[in-house]
Amino acid sequence: MSAASPAHDTHHDDHAHAHPTGLKRWLFTTNHKDIGTLYLWFALAMFFTGGVMALLIRAELFQPGLQFVNPEFFNSLTTVHGLVMVFGAIMPAWVGFANWLIPMQIGAADMAFPRMNNWSFWLVVPAAILLVASFFVPGGAAASGWTLYPPLIIQQGISIDMTILAVHILGASSIMGSINIITTILNLRAPGMTLMKMPLFVWTWLITAYLLIAVMPVLAGAVTMLLTDRHFGTSFFNAAGGGDPTMFMHIFWFFGHPEVYIMILPAFGVVSAIIPAFARKPLFGYASMVYATASIAILSFIVWGHHMFTVGMPAAGNLFFMYATMLIAVPTGVKVFNWIATMWQGSMTFETPMLFSIGFICLFTIGGFSGLVLAVTPVDITIHNTYYVVAHFHYVLVSGALFSLFAGAYFWLPKFTGKMYNESLGKLHFWLSVIGFNIAFFPQHFLGLAGMPRRIPDYALQFAEWNMWSSIGAFIFGFSQLLFLYNVIECIRSSRKAADNPWEGADTLEWTHLPSPAPYHSFETAPVVK
Amino acid sequence: MEAFKAVFWSFFGVRKKSEYDKDAKSLTPQAVIAAGLVSALVFVLAIFGIVKLVTR
Repeated sequence: MSAASPAHDTHHDDHAHAHPTGLKRWLFTTNHKDIGTLYLWFALAMFFTGGVMALLIRAELFQPGLQFVNPEFFNSLTTVHGLVMVFGAIMPAWVGFANWLIPMQIGAADMAFPRMNNWSFWLVVPAAILLVASFFVPGGAAASGWTLYPPLIIQQGISIDMTILAVHILGASSIMGSINIITTILNLRAPGMTLMKMPLFVWTWLITAYLLIAVMPVLAGAVTMLLTDRHFGTSFFNAAGGGDPTMFMHIFWFFGHPEVYIMILPAFGVVSAIIPAFARKPLFGYASMVYATASIAILSFIVWGHHMFTVGMPAAGNLFFMYATMLIAVPTGVKVFNWIATMWQGSMTFETPMLFSIGFICLFTIGGFSGLVLAVTPVDITIHNTYYVVAHFHYVLVSGALFSLFAGAYFWLPKFTGKMYNESLGKLHFWLSVIGFNIAFFPQHFLGLAGMPRRIPDYALQFAEWNMWSSIGAFIFGFSQLLFLYNVIECIRSSRKAADNPWEGADTLEWTHLPSPAPYHSFETAPVVK
Repeated sequence: MEAFKAVFWSFFGVRKKSEYDKDAKSLTPQAVIAAGLVSALVFVLAIFGIVKLVTR
């Protein structure tokens, strides 16, 4: 992409705009960069919160028998770990990147609705407090699994109401965020920045935002029905009153499957920015990537039944969802081929963002393939609810979404902070993560195929060996994330000035038109994109 | 018709550069979205038809 005038944004400082400092700055900020920073730090805090829960789970599963936690608490740990990681870590982290990057990448001065942006962020904080605080109320935190299935969810105590309220608040925040993102992208693009010139990260977020608007109200409806079943005498999901718990599953997964793509589409965008930058070649098949993203989004609405093959659907229903699920692999596979073709014959270098991106491609593909295995109805009926499923979705969400978040963080840290992170430490973080992750999750495929069920604190002796390895890997992976935290803080405090464009091949507006760190107010005069 | 062709290729995830350039000139977003929704419906009905065929 080439762009003309102004060579650099003129506002290198913000003396002219008095804005509050200290706590007030962060409470009342309407600046997209501040709000992006808030989201990113919040997500990192929740990532460590959910990570502690994961390590408690793996500590308990290190050996057969009950060592550290009782079974009820174990169930709460698996439930809240899932909720915190999905709604508290991955999603807010992507919104953080969206806030920082979308205005800069399309040449806008800020988001379209800055005040609503502030409100979107400050809503997620009480929601997170509700989720975490639910551990300390009578009866303990929700223990039904993150899917909140009735009848378990109807039987538990006040923590369920706290969880439902948290989900409502997070949904409202996501919807507001999405409206903001869509309006910004459609209305505030710089002159010449046509839709098909937008960086792929912007495209993937545009489509993600539409997905969010489509499915968040569905989840809100489902949890509201849970609430009225619990307190107002309705029987939506209570068989004794003429309701049907299966209906909740259908409604939940109509939300839940697009939710998977909400978490992974921005990852596609980030990887599509990083691979061309470090292969020093333009992205192979840009238009195909946009088209494939759009079709993945549409197809994501017609595959939810593959989560429910064992629930009891007519054979025709099972077959429909099996075929549809296998077909969604086609546009996803095209993306993987496009990234590989981008690297083909490129002048590649392997800085940390590139390492995490390549790690993403390799491991996300493994997660995609185990997804295809699970899509085969008869196979799924045997391995449903086993550790095979746990292995599958961690390959998609940890080495998929999380690795690309790390890739994005290392890639844009120089732009966010104006400083260079420690490259050796970044590489060490990558290698420990990738080794720890694979030791933790690859054996879970074996455990699942051998029949070990998920969500249990104790297990039969034949599963002991691989559980031990899985726990060792999880601890390596978990503790190596402290390196990331250290690296970020060290980067912010260091004196290693980053160049305006430290990456040779990066060519989007935030690199070509803005200094590092990006000024508080950027693109007050829109650049003209040619 | 052009919009349907573009959407068909998008389901596969591939588009020729020259064809894409033609799309970019001639297609409006409204036409593509409408074609996309109709194609999704056709897609669902087609899979449903195959399912009906094999479960007969």
